[in-house]
Amino acid sequence: MTTLAIPQKLARLPGWIVLLVWTAAVLLPLYVLVVSCFKTTAEIYDNRLGLPRSWALDNFVRAWTRADLGHNFINSLIVTGGAVALTIVVSAMAAYPLSRYRLGWNGIMLGLFLSGIMLPIRLASVELFTLMRGLGLLDSLTGLILVYSAIRIPFAVFIFANFMRVLPSELDEAARMDGAGETRILFQIVLPMVKPAVSIVAIFTAIAVWNDFFFPLIFIFDDRYKTVPLAISVFVGQFRTDWGLVFASLAISMAPILIMYCLLARQIREGVGAGGGMK
Amino acid sequence: MTKLRRTTSLQRTQQRMAVLFILPALAIYGLFVLYPLLLSLWGSFFTWKGLRMQEFAGLANFSRLFVFPSGARLYGALWHNVAWFFGIMLLQNGLGLLFAWLLFLRGRGAAFFQSVFFFPAVLSPVIVGALWRLLLAPGGIVEWALNGLGLHQGSLTVLGNSHTALGTLIAVDAWNWMGLPVLIYTAGLRQISPQVFEAAKLDGAGNARMLFSVALPLLMPALGTLTTLSFINTFNQFDIVYVMQGVQGNPSYATDTLVTYFYRLAFGAEGAVGITDIGLALALGTMLFLVLSIGTLLMLRFFDKRTVEL
Repeated sequence: MTTLAIPQKLARLPGWIVLLVWTAAVLLPLYVLVVSCFKTTAEIYDNRLGLPRSWALDNFVRAWTRADLGHNFINSLIVTGGAVALTIVVSAMAAYPLSRYRLGWNGIMLGLFLSGIMLPIRLASVELFTLMRGLGLLDSLTGLILVYSAIRIPFAVFIFANFMRVLPSELDEAARMDGAGETRILFQIVLPMVKPAVSIVAIFTAIAVWNDFFFPLIFIFDDRYKTVPLAISVFVGQFRTDWGLVFASLAISMAPILIMYCLLARQIREGVGAGGGMK
Repeated sequence: MTKLRRTTSLQRTQQRMAVLFILPALAIYGLFVLYPLLLSLWGSFFTWKGLRMQEFAGLANFSRLFVFPSGARLYGALWHNVAWFFGIMLLQNGLGLLFAWLLFLRGRGAAFFQSVFFFPAVLSPVIVGALWRLLLAPGGIVEWALNGLGLHQGSLTVLGNSHTALGTLIAVDAWNWMGLPVLIYTAGLRQISPQVFEAAKLDGAGNARMLFSVALPLLMPALGTLTTLSFINTFNQFDIVYVMQGVQGNPSYATDTLVTYFYRLAFGAEGAVGITDIGLALALGTMLFLVLSIGTLLMLRFFDKRTVEL
């Protein structure tokens, strides 16, 4: 028994090593990022892998105030929060009749929404730009919220419709008997029953919107309305030699997603299985 | 009779409510996605002056796309996107399959590795690109480590060298998204009945044989999803190039992609800076749209036919 067990463990060693090598490939760059935030540029060069000699917050303070990342951070929070809320409300409203009523035309309508999951909207950015300019939505956080919601609606309708379809039909019938209106059935009965769908839509919309760079790049010119990824892309060139500052601003900009990921890693792993497509 | 009347009145209420419920989502989606997309396709048949549509030009924009000076840019960018796709299939989806298989064999601890591997995928490609630009810079930590290990000497210039820049960007992209194939493959492997693997083991199949002859054919739906997603993402590649190499795809267009080229045409960074060529941009956008939709449909059909059922 033991003579057999040892070679088996040995045979598993290469597999272990492969997994640990990739773990290091993921964690080492992030470790370097975190420790470099606390170092001066000189220390980044002469103490590369070690812990910082002193845990000075200077880089963070400079990133937040002098480079004005705090401002971009608040813009990103507003845009992400707004887009998540708007996407959830309008998509849940649309998915409810499409998945639970017999309308005759809900198949076609659902197909129209779902086709949007694969539409490459970046390729329409010229016409989108003209439209936004016409509506006075350039250089505005509202404009970004509307565009992001529009892009995320297909995925959200897909997820909500899938979850709502399998709820027992007695649920809304009973509520209707009791005299509840359709709006009330949706928001007070159906939506609380599909909480996992709400969290999947919220998580993936938040990640996609927080991370996006393309639309702020073409729609935002005024520094007052720049979001975090757009600001970062400027910093990297502007503060090229001030590595501590750039590392600190990278750390600040990924902090909300990092915290969310640590809290929700399981839901995110399972959500990828449920819906796929997050880019 | 009363029952019938009640259902029809319920149905009428539902029809009315359905319209009200669907309208906000449809309005936002229609206005900011469908409408500009259709307008772009239509506009690619017109001549443009700045942002103003002039007159119907048939296929003139499309023929301009393929000849000098646009042709060189187009074919260069197209080749980079194709290389990017195969690089991702090998580096990301291939390695991802190996990792998923190892996690599947081990069983325990899979959730930990999955979470670590997936972490970079929740970060913005802008952050990932900026981070790797610092790490790979001359004087950066990768150069220091390679010099220290004796694997390399002197200054590391992979991003400034036109032979290595594209490959480096593809590797960074694979690092960014590696967790995705790992999650999708492990989910696929768990759906395969354990008896299949036991039968293969009794027939004397080793681990490698089991992966390629038993598991892989049954993983076709997962492989199909990943291939299609990688295809769409590859042909939309923009952020990493912009942050690491600039919108011109430096050095000397060695990392230029179709979307960076599109961006320069549409927003004026191609040729004399500030001059846009909307007609050409829309023609390129329409071509890309066709390539993406036809490619995606063909891939979905291809993998659908090859799905093995037990």
